[in-house]
Amino acid sequence: MLPWFRTEHARLPEQTVHDGAPVGRIALLGADLPGLRPKLLCEQGSRIKRGQAVFHDRAHPEVVFASPISGVVESITLGPRRSLSALVIRRETGHHEPDPVKMAMSSATAVRAALLANGFWPAFLTRPFGRIPAPDAAPEAIFVTVTADNPHAPDPRVVLAGQHEVFAAGLKALALLTDGTVHVCQSQGADIAAGLGDRIRGAFFSSGAASGLAGTHIHRLHPVGWGRSVWSIGYQDVLSIGRLIETGIPDCSRVVAIVGPRAKQPRLLRTVAGASLQELIREETVTGTGGAPLCVLSGSAENGRKASWLGRYHHQITLLDDAPKPVNTPERGVMARFRRASSMPAPLVPTAALERALSLDVPVVPFLRALSVGDAETASRLGCLEMVEEDLAAVSLACTSGADYRRMLRHVLDELAEDA
Amino acid sequence: MTGWLLDSHLMQQRSGWTPARVTLAQLVALVVPMGVSLAERGSAQIAVLVTASITCLVWELAFDLIRGRSLSFHTVTTALIVSVLVPATVPLWQIAMAASFGVVFGELVFGGRGYGIVSAAAAAAGFLVFSFAGAGLSEPSESMALATLPGAVLLLWGGLISWRVLASAAAALIAAELTRQGASGLPTVLATAPFGLVFLVSDPVAAASTQWGRWVYGVLAGLLIVLFDTLAGSAIAPAAIVFASLLASLFAPLIDHVTVTLIVGRRGRRHG
Repeated sequence: MLPWFRTEHARLPEQTVHDGAPVGRIALLGADLPGLRPKLLCEQGSRIKRGQAVFHDRAHPEVVFASPISGVVESITLGPRRSLSALVIRRETGHHEPDPVKMAMSSATAVRAALLANGFWPAFLTRPFGRIPAPDAAPEAIFVTVTADNPHAPDPRVVLAGQHEVFAAGLKALALLTDGTVHVCQSQGADIAAGLGDRIRGAFFSSGAASGLAGTHIHRLHPVGWGRSVWSIGYQDVLSIGRLIETGIPDCSRVVAIVGPRAKQPRLLRTVAGASLQELIREETVTGTGGAPLCVLSGSAENGRKASWLGRYHHQITLLDDAPKPVNTPERGVMARFRRASSMPAPLVPTAALERALSLDVPVVPFLRALSVGDAETASRLGCLEMVEEDLAAVSLACTSGADYRRMLRHVLDELAEDA
Repeated sequence: MTGWLLDSHLMQQRSGWTPARVTLAQLVALVVPMGVSLAERGSAQIAVLVTASITCLVWELAFDLIRGRSLSFHTVTTALIVSVLVPATVPLWQIAMAASFGVVFGELVFGGRGYGIVSAAAAAAGFLVFSFAGAGLSEPSESMALATLPGAVLLLWGGLISWRVLASAAAALIAAELTRQGASGLPTVLATAPFGLVFLVSDPVAAASTQWGRWVYGVLAGLLIVLFDTLAGSAIAPAAIVFASLLASLFAPLIDHVTVTLIVGRRGRRHG
């Protein structure tokens, strides 16, 4: 990739954790839960406590989604096909916080029940398909992603500093859920998972493109396919599970990096999952060049989505200048025919740059062609079951076509998941 | 179809390739060889360049008008490659015919650059040699080989051509020449082959598109060049490179198909 084509030169975040501005509202988002149909357990105006279930999966009533704060349900918006769009909770102070309970977490059933009841089950994502696992499923292995997927993300070693005991408690709980290995995937350095038995193993990935993605780790250590399923979980969720075990309090706090050209001081902020980004970044922005409007992304610049709430699985907030709206003035005459936007999607030129952008051992060009035409069978033979959306972000940017292969992959995965 | 496109903010901060950037990089890579060919062959070569460019642009304009698209100037790269390959002694109407055939049947009928199966410039040069008695391609000189290098480095660095294709084609070519004539002919081979290897054989649209396939494709192209080389002595006939490139790119889909079958088989064993 040629350097002069790179347009985003943002400063790296300062890797120290600060307390973020207190947020008054949080939301549980349907965008984090593709294909989930919720059954609501509360209604607008209900008072709820931290850790109380607000809805559950219609297909698996045991999989509940819990509120990360105590407050009042402000609004519930539903999306197409009875999916959830957003459930907004307003914080109310003076609530009686739930009492800490020491949990007995010695057996697999106890751990499973505690994670399900406290709303931590959605922290797991299955591979293949990238969905929340069934409550009675057992994975062949669990992958804990303790890597940053890009240089702007929080450094997991900074976030975990001083909390290794809690983290280890979380890892031990995970080991009870599988008969296989718990792979703790981390960057080069001291082993975070040292001395926790032979089923909790550290795996090291040198930094480089895509080395922080769970897809890369799973591809190297335990390739999946039809009938072979593993789970992945983020390190901050393991920390939350550890805290649940140690204190009995469901704690959904998150450390996020606030980065991008519009961030006043790129740094790490402690906040809560689903936080209102508007409230969180109020004091964190600078005015853009030429008064360009602000574009807030939940997630990285490459992989994030435009959002007003922090996503469930995101550890990063990127502040960019918004793209100017294309000027759409109707023209007449012969010259107007040449001023149209170039045809989109553009052709896929099979450059060698595509191979560099995808780290999995997959024939990239045939694979992208299969995705573009929605050929689920070929895509699955070529290895799409090993991927979720985040793995294809770099390829989408590198490809000449301008197509969003992440959406195509989700389409194909949904089709395959229905057959499975 | 808009649902499948990248968001506008992602499009804006894309750091990768767009069709316009591909064209731009190829034009930049072709500037030095074009300059050398103008310097070597004098002002008559300008007429060749102008004829080829106008012909290519007129055809692209016609197709864009019919399809309601904006002009992409992709065909200018084809025109530049053709005018480096073709000497000024060829009548201009023959050049116009050849360039027309190349851009129309090499890429435009398929939908434009990126949708075709052969390199348009190779199709044009092949048409010229086949159709008109006495029309030959110009012999590349040592300075042309040197002039190809900066462009090749640029294209390799940007990932627009694959080093696997270049390396395997060059290796096959050199090995075959060594067995045929020994080491004495090597410098001539190295001087006459680079332009064709970089701009015809390695064209990403025409070459194989899987990693293993690129090795096989390169070797095939290298061997075909030796097979088609009709010149006595160690120089490579430019027409040999053109026809080798055309034939190899016709085999590229088959090579890719076999490669993908092998990869799928290996995945099946690995993933159980």
